[in-house]
Amino acid sequence: MSALSLHKKIEENTGLLIFGILLVSAIGGLVQILPVLNQKSLEEPTVNTKPYSAIELTGRDIYMREGCSVCHSQQIRPLIAEVERYGPYSRAGEFVYDRPFMWGSKRTGPDLHRIGGKYTDDWHRIHLIDPRTVVPESIMPGYPWLAERAASETGNIVAKMTALRKLGHPYTDAQIAAAESDLEGLMEIDALTAYLQILGTGLDEEIAR
Amino acid sequence: MVADLPTGFWSGWVIVLTCVSLATLVWIVLSVYFAPPDSKSTHGEIDHDPVWDTDLREGTSAPPLWWFWMLLGALVFSLGYLMLYPGLGSFEGLLNWSQGKRLVSSYENYEESFDARRAEIAATSLSELQGNTALMETADRIFRRECSACHGADGRGQAALFPNLLDVDWQWGGSPEQIEQTLRGGRNASMPAWEASLGEEKTRDVANYLLNFSDRGHAGRTVYEQNCAACHGVDGTGNVFLGAPNLADNTWLYGGDIDSILATLRQGRAGKMPAFDEQRLDAAQLKLIIAKLAR
Ligand code: HEC
Ligand code: HEC
Ligand code: HEC
Repeated sequence: MSALSLHKKIEENTGLLIFGILLVSAIGGLVQILPVLNQKSLEEPTVNTKPYSAIELTGRDIYMREGCSVCHSQQIRPLIAEVERYGPYSRAGEFVYDRPFMWGSKRTGPDLHRIGGKYTDDWHRIHLIDPRTVVPESIMPGYPWLAERAASETGNIVAKMTALRKLGHPYTDAQIAAAESDLEGLMEIDALTAYLQILGTGLDEEIAR
Repeated sequence: MVADLPTGFWSGWVIVLTCVSLATLVWIVLSVYFAPPDSKSTHGEIDHDPVWDTDLREGTSAPPLWWFWMLLGALVFSLGYLMLYPGLGSFEGLLNWSQGKRLVSSYENYEESFDARRAEIAATSLSELQGNTALMETADRIFRRECSACHGADGRGQAALFPNLLDVDWQWGGSPEQIEQTLRGGRNASMPAWEASLGEEKTRDVANYLLNFSDRGHAGRTVYEQNCAACHGVDGTGNVFLGAPNLADNTWLYGGDIDSILATLRQGRAGKMPAFDEQRLDAAQLKLIIAKLAR
């Protein structure tokens, strides 16, 4: 049988055509995605990677809501220029509790994967309210409302943690029970700062060169 | 640094699917161009093709020949690529290339390339460094990269939170040793909140006294001597071991108007200077920064 007569048969039979299209477009995924989903080494959290606390998780949701990933990536590539600028390159195991991950694809501002511990909480607070107070030439927008809204109003934290536990994040009952009181009295800006301060701190000291 | 390639069953899965796809592609390309003539034109056209407007028919002739060469080139390229680089399951490729190894090799001789510069800086005294324009420009660059987000691009402080490093007023001391300690260890200042224990009136008195420090008969003076002198000194000149600033001069970190001083006393202050370890600031960079700041 030649490819042309096969072609003719497929073209004249819609069911076969649909099947053929699906098969061909699935090949990329079958080769590149399916084996990775089953690669245990990529699911192993790095030594210090822990599930986000109630406060950090809320901060992460605010990060998503405000679209910080539009301007900031969270992935340091294994290139000397990036490692020298930002720190150790990102490992797969650091993202196991990120659903969805916030890798981003555009750097209008710097990469934030190793921002944790680089500045103080005070600095983040001032910078988030109005970046130009500390970086006069900054083009990052200010987020003053984060200092006015209660962190507890950013979604239902208990429901979120319960759902994540179903997906395999090892939260204890006590952690989930304490979640609401953890957020008490905190503003959104505090939660976001807590999230920024934990970013990229999941590596073993040794790997962190 | 081991390349994280699929192993076991999934390695085989990738290899088989990749090879089968490539083989199918080869078969399709070859049979489109080199099929026996009957199945190609006559057979197809007479049997199958509809004819519109008396002579308009659907042709099934092969695409131009330069396409064939292009496809062939792409196939040869992919085979070569799959042999040289990781792609076929757990096979690492003949070149043994990986991103991790590339990173390691770009670090070869990287540290060594700074040896001469570092040795020069280590052997030079602070005052000589201060006289060396090229090295002081390097110090400025390091400062802009690591410190300016807090202390301002010019080092003159900002946001009523990050101190001016170019004035004569040092909370933690301005000698090279003290600056080194500030940088390597970080600093955590702790100024307690006072209003709860002193009460509204005494707090106002002492705040006003700070603005009139030379007034020996001021109502706030006893409050000051009882509560504040332990850290800020009887004469108000501060204490570099506690990071307690000089209150008798006219330099204020958190603002010198009565409202800012009252705010300081009500809520307390806890200025935090992060520590810079070897990774963020190596010994040579540290020395350059100290030369820039020390006077
Ligand atoms: C319009 C693009 C833009 C958006 C949106 C944006 N940023 Fe930025 N960000 C920047 C730029 C540009 C800088 C560099 C200048 C500066 O430090 O302000 C920056 C700097 C930063 C820094 C300091 C990084 C460093 O290493 O010095 C942090 C932290 C940060 N942004 C957090 C955030 C967060 C959190 C959000 C979402 C609430 C956000 N950014 C949204 C553009 C953006
Ligand atoms: C995250 C913000 C931040 C960064 C980055 C930072 N500093 Fe500081 N620094 C501070 C704060 C806040 C203080 C005041 C601490 C206090 O209140 O006692 C301070 C205090 C200091 C002091 C003590 C001043 C005194 O009067 O004794 C020195 C010296 C200093 N910083 C130098 C540096 C240098 C050099 C760098 C860069 C390598 C740097 N800092 C980076 C926030 C920062
Ligand atoms: C335990 C030691 C301690 C005591 C007691 C103390 N202070 Fe302080 N004070 C500090 C430190 C440390 C700082 C620096 C805080 C910082 O940098 O964040 C400070 C800062 C201040 C400042 C801010 C100075 C500026 O430049 O903005 C004022 C004003 C002040 N103190 C007033 C007082 C008064 C008034 C009292 C007594 C009622 C007092 N302090 C008692 C340690 C102390």
